[in-house]
Amino acid sequence: MIKANNVSLKYADGTVALHNVNLNIKPGEFVYIVGPSGSGKTSLLKLLMGIEFASSGSLYVLDQFMVKNEARNIRKLRRKIGPVFQEFRLIQGRTALENVLMGMRFLDIPNRQMIDNANNALKKVGLEHKASVMVEKLSYGEAQRVAIARAVARKPALILADEPTGNLDFDNAINIMNLLYNFKDENTTVLVTTHATHLIDNYRDASIIHVESGKIHVEHRGEQK
Amino acid sequence: MKNAVYFIKESVRIFRSNKLSNIFSFFGTFLILFLLALVVGIWSISSQLTALLKEEAEISAYFKQDIQNTEELLHMIEQIDGVRNVRLVDKEEARSRMEKILGEESGILDLFDENPFEAYFEVKINLEKTDSVFTQISGLNGIDYVRENREVLEQIEGVSKALEALGYLVIAAVSITTLVIISHMIRQGIYQNREQIKTFMLLGAPDNFINFPYILLGFLLTFGGGIAATVLINILINQGYSRLASTLPFIPLPPKSRLSLGLTVFLLSASAALGILGSLFGVSTSKKNN
Repeated sequence: MIKANNVSLKYADGTVALHNVNLNIKPGEFVYIVGPSGSGKTSLLKLLMGIEFASSGSLYVLDQFMVKNEARNIRKLRRKIGPVFQEFRLIQGRTALENVLMGMRFLDIPNRQMIDNANNALKKVGLEHKASVMVEKLSYGEAQRVAIARAVARKPALILADEPTGNLDFDNAINIMNLLYNFKDENTTVLVTTHATHLIDNYRDASIIHVESGKIHVEHRGEQK
Repeated sequence: MKNAVYFIKESVRIFRSNKLSNIFSFFGTFLILFLLALVVGIWSISSQLTALLKEEAEISAYFKQDIQNTEELLHMIEQIDGVRNVRLVDKEEARSRMEKILGEESGILDLFDENPFEAYFEVKINLEKTDSVFTQISGLNGIDYVRENREVLEQIEGVSKALEALGYLVIAAVSITTLVIISHMIRQGIYQNREQIKTFMLLGAPDNFINFPYILLGFLLTFGGGIAATVLINILINQGYSRLASTLPFIPLPPKSRLSLGLTVFLLSASAALGILGSLFGVSTSKKNN
């Protein structure tokens, strides 16, 4: 699913964001990525999305070798990923439903099923009543949930969520985490970066990747399928 | 096409997002396509005119009025190489022709007590052999003088060739200008929507999906300009033909329906092709970061 061997990421200004990262994440695994701000959590997700590329080492995501000259294939790979961006990246001037549909329009999903998936995803994040509201009129927390609905409606093989509960109250945060956690039952791998370490204890079989100053330590807790 | 409605809605949204600039692009395209139609139309008419006049190339051979046997003279002219047809135009026919040309002004001929026109031979010739035919007819016994209109024909042909060259020039200029206008408009649209495009890329959307609404918009704007230019040029043709028919009836214009249909097909095809090419050029020269 995800395999990294001695992956390092060094930015053009010389900053080393990640150093000799080794990972082996299996299908259906639920993984938290934790660490202080600037530790390299988002850089790790950027590598997994093909937004940045390893300066050294090798990285495979869903069997795709992640190197710059594989751009076309990496674009295809992204269709199998459900990303939740820290800045949401919702498309302004569209309703919540349209935003969720946007993530599926170019996938091989029939129109009817696409609309069903979008409505179900909005229902799961508790926003079915806001489906026809323009995203710029939603609260910060609601917009975040639309971004999550867009990611999960695609029924991806891998969900990469960057601080998906960052702006949510405790109840909504638990709901979103439960939603993401339940995807592992569908054999979907979920990686979530978070500061909300108090939520982690609710998911005792989740693996934890501790990131600090570009170095990682993987903590496998409990048995995952 | 499961996304047909989406693509149309997106194109409309992109148009609205920069409405004023897009409206100017539409009018700019419309005006230059109209200019193109005008030049091509005039070129087409002048070519037709030259071709018709060439076919009708003739010289008039006036004979001494005391000559008795015009049939013999006519037969001799017929034998000359380069002569296609000869017929005698008698005085009455010469007058009635002039009456037709003068139209409402033909009353002026009533001022003459006698028919002032002379009978003559109307000799249709091959234009290339004008010199030889002219010399041979002039040398025939009984021929008073010969009049040819080669200078006029050559001038018309010269104008026609100049218009043809101008036509090619205008086609090239219009094509380049349209490509620049449309591609610039597309690049502007892409720049304004760069964040949305980046999101689509991050979600894995293929380039065709991202680009299609922009290409559709460029096509629709240019084709719309083409339709508007077609309507205007057809109005102009209708008005121009009725005015020319009443004021200059002797000018041999091509059939109105043929000119109109030809220009309509040309404008619609040219605008469609330029719209697609301009949009593709705009899309391919826009910077999009992965």
